[in-house]
Amino acid sequence: MRILLAASFVLMNVVIYLVMSILYRRYRLPVLLPALTATFTVVVLLMGFHISYETYMIGGDWINRLLGPAVVSLAYPLYKQRHVLWKNLPAILGGTVTGLMVGMFSGLLMAAGLGFSKLYVLSILPKSITTAVAIQISSNLGGDSSLTSVFVMVAGFTGAIGGPYIIKLFRIRSESGIGIGLGTASHALGTAKALEYGEESVSMSSVAMTVCAIVGSIAGPLVAWIMYH
Amino acid sequence: MKIIRIIAEVCLLYVFFLAGGYLQELLHLPIPGSIVGLLLLFVLLLLKIVPVKLIENGSSFILAYLPMFFIPATAGIMNHLDIFSGRGLLLIGILVISSVLTMVVTAHSSQWIAARSVKRLTRRTYRARNVQGKGKEA
Repeated sequence: MRILLAASFVLMNVVIYLVMSILYRRYRLPVLLPALTATFTVVVLLMGFHISYETYMIGGDWINRLLGPAVVSLAYPLYKQRHVLWKNLPAILGGTVTGLMVGMFSGLLMAAGLGFSKLYVLSILPKSITTAVAIQISSNLGGDSSLTSVFVMVAGFTGAIGGPYIIKLFRIRSESGIGIGLGTASHALGTAKALEYGEESVSMSSVAMTVCAIVGSIAGPLVAWIMYH
Repeated sequence: MKIIRIIAEVCLLYVFFLAGGYLQELLHLPIPGSIVGLLLLFVLLLLKIVPVKLIENGSSFILAYLPMFFIPATAGIMNHLDIFSGRGLLLIGILVISSVLTMVVTAHSSQWIAARSVKRLTRRTYRARNVQGKGKEA
């Protein structure tokens, strides 16, 4: 019974995701991104049928378990673009570390300053890092992984929708700067946006995204420690 | 046939994930085991100990469907719906401002570093050329 329930939740998840991907491929609007629409559909269905999140997670956990190997698999695109990484190592590493620090501290200080509880503050911390890694960092620090996952999405949309305005307003001129900026601040959603700025932007963005995840998982606990000790 | 290959490769990635977790516990590393697994695989790929063919299909498969794996974790937001109303909206504002800051600072510092290294490179070639030129004069 339990296995049947789990399997049907997994199936529901897959079907909803595939349907939403088809919808996205047809219209290409950022608000139709499957990560957003599929999650929304799942939440609406669960609430409509009065199924608790805990019950759903009997199946959800099966999918969750693939997040670990998903993080490991990021080694593959990084390896494929190792020449981009080695050639631009100072710019990528320097930009990512500086930006990540500013991003983490600004988020923490604003949230803590406005009186949000530690749970929210810690969940905001890894917002610019790709979801699979961010929720791991967040739960290790005592944040909430679903809050973090939503925050990561907001950070992603900021770059994917606001990116072009930010680039113009703050005069970001080089293709590589645009790519590293989008990848560090807005992970995969930023990298998708970088497509519009050329080949160099995309590869820089994708490398910056992975570097950001690695650096962030080291810096995250450090920043949290500085804030709360 | 391809599906079997993909499943086998995903299993291999899972082994790297487990190995990363094991190393992390053994060495008391402050970073998640999955990241240790990522670094481990990256280094082994660079050293050509693990041929890229062994993980190519599995990685591409996972990465192509990546957003699907986030759905269960993200759906947990149904227990925190208060963040979409009242004071919760402040959080959205904070996230947007902080993300803009992240992007601007990252882009400008990386541009600054790139420009500096280009300048150093041209200075070096200029100096080298000068030295050559002087050599010819003498």
